[in-house]
Amino acid sequence: MEKTAHTDLVRPGEQWFFYWKTSAALWESKIREIPLDEVIFLPLNWGFHSDSPESFDFSDSLPERDLLRLTQSLMQQKRKFCWLLPLTPAPFLPNGGVSVSGARTLSLNKEGIQLSCVDAEGTLNKIYSFFEPKVFQAFVKFTQSFGEFLSKHEIRSQVFGAEFFFTENSLNHSYLEDSSQAFDQGFSRYLKKTHSAPNSLSPQEELDLKTKFTQEVRELFSGMAEAALSPYWSGCQKIYCLGGSPRNTIERTLNNQKPQLEYFHDLFNHYSRGEWISSALLTSEEKKGILTQVLQDHFGKTEIEKQYHFKTSSLSLGEEWESYGNVQIIGSLNNSHWKKIGLLDYLDEEFRWMYQQHDEVIFTTDWIEENAHKIKFFSAEGMDRTHFSQMMKLFMMGQKILFDKSGLSPELERRLEIFYLENNLDRQSVNFQTQIVLTTLGDGKFITFEGDKLKTASQAKFVWKNIFKWLNLIQPEVHMDTDVFGLWKIRATNASDLNFLDVRRFSVYNPTSYKKNITVKTQKHFAFMRMNEPLRAKAQSNPQGVDIELLPGGRVSLDFGHYEER
Amino acid sequence: MKLYLIYHFQSSHNADNEFRPAKYRVLYFFNDDEFLDESSLRSRYKDFAPEGGEDLSFQSLDLMKDFAMSFASEFEAEEVRLISAQDYNVGQDSVKDRKGLGQVFAKYGEAVVNPEFKKRGGIFGKLFR
Repeated sequence: MEKTAHTDLVRPGEQWFFYWKTSAALWESKIREIPLDEVIFLPLNWGFHSDSPESFDFSDSLPERDLLRLTQSLMQQKRKFCWLLPLTPAPFLPNGGVSVSGARTLSLNKEGIQLSCVDAEGTLNKIYSFFEPKVFQAFVKFTQSFGEFLSKHEIRSQVFGAEFFFTENSLNHSYLEDSSQAFDQGFSRYLKKTHSAPNSLSPQEELDLKTKFTQEVRELFSGMAEAALSPYWSGCQKIYCLGGSPRNTIERTLNNQKPQLEYFHDLFNHYSRGEWISSALLTSEEKKGILTQVLQDHFGKTEIEKQYHFKTSSLSLGEEWESYGNVQIIGSLNNSHWKKIGLLDYLDEEFRWMYQQHDEVIFTTDWIEENAHKIKFFSAEGMDRTHFSQMMKLFMMGQKILFDKSGLSPELERRLEIFYLENNLDRQSVNFQTQIVLTTLGDGKFITFEGDKLKTASQAKFVWKNIFKWLNLIQPEVHMDTDVFGLWKIRATNASDLNFLDVRRFSVYNPTSYKKNITVKTQKHFAFMRMNEPLRAKAQSNPQGVDIELLPGGRVSLDFGHYEER
Repeated sequence: MKLYLIYHFQSSHNADNEFRPAKYRVLYFFNDDEFLDESSLRSRYKDFAPEGGEDLSFQSLDLMKDFAMSFASEFEAEEVRLISAQDYNVGQDSVKDRKGLGQVFAKYGEAVVNPEFKKRGGIFGKLFR
């Protein structure tokens, strides 16, 4: 049966709880509706608690501000909860979260458009600039008051800083970015302090300094929050808001609204860039059908708890389904680099939605273990000694590393040479479109190449095809149109399964208004086990694999047992 | 049907010791139902900006109007509203919700009437619209 979308404005998705959206008298019953094992995330509507620029109220005047009552309700019901403190304007809050006294200058994007977002109730939230000095003063006061409140009432709960982003024309923008007068005035003061001759700057230098200034202000907000809430501070999370760009704001007012297919594109692009999302702005009408389903399947409880580190990865595969991918691209998040060397096109063709990009290695035991099976791409562009050492350690641990040496600094080039010599490693050199050097150590494979020598798409495709063939990635082959979306999960086998190595689940969604056919070839390494929860979908197995037919708005998930041929 | 085009005006300035003339850049172009297809905009733009470039910029407002009107004919639109970023902001200031914002596009900016558009009255007109 088709699952219906959440219509509850208090629980807008991703386990968030908007306490200010309902009467305090209803909090207890609303909390009772939430499954017992879910962590509850409480975004702080800091403007809502403002009595005056100088004071913040957490109980006295309005029952809906009574965070003590809220936390007591949560604790009485033995709920796990944490706070989300916005470190940038938040698109789901009136004024972006800024209190009335601080809401003086509207935020502008670089084209001079005022930032505003339509929330799930259809309210237009206008975003006010965080560069207004009064906003920072109020923020400081709020974080201090909130820290005192937690300490006074001995509420031991985690606080996460949340930075909110939107995506437009494939570029991510923080809601902090601003081109308003408040920003200009702040920037002018910054220039006077940091530059003796600000008038001599070239346009590019000015642009770079504006980026640096924005970054420093970002750090000011997060540093202040961390200092004021240090006993509870659990780090920052970047959150990408679906439907929150200036274009989306317009689009969501039009008769056809934003098509579900575009939400799928946004969602899956965020997924492949390793970015965490929020669907809080979307109405129940926008979330209907398979969008709700994909959010539940792949951005649900397990993924949320992993994202916020409530759940640590076990060293071995468990019986619970986990997201599965096989390639990671680390560093140089500049998409154009990997696009230019043809890697993204190749992966989109052969391993679509099976790769993720990350800013950096999160060099913890959990992360290393969890991602040990994935092929990792590193770029020398902007690489420092720490990242270089981490990359080499991963290779020594038996992982498969591909390193684009283009732009490698002479110092790191020397260190790489010393690494080869010290470990007495044999190198096989192949001149195949580019200089490729292969090294193995136990299970570890280390391949260097020079990406900037891959000049044409066909050259690049040929190289990647052969490298991946050599790496021998074992994965069912999927043939589907680019407007059909699918993600993989994995789990260990259980008593009711046959003697497989592991079980893989492929969930596929058709957000278009056309019928779509998908073919999964099992490649003599996988056996089709079962079809789950088909919705407007049919699947037919054959000796080569499975043929799927998805009607518009259809979805299905298929389980495959993984085995090795003897 | 009506078309709406929101644009950004960049005044003339000097950058990197070069004079950059004023330009009008299309930010958003849509009708009552949806955004116009991006690839159609770019392909049509080539006819209006023979010097190339992909950012949908025009050196004069008239040229941008001509570009917009070429779509008005194609969509059989009654008019195109050209809304500057400033006008859009003024409109946003006056509304509080999604419905209000939807009405901003029909109220603000300059309306350029499509001379080719003919209202079809009567029962046959309604049938053929």
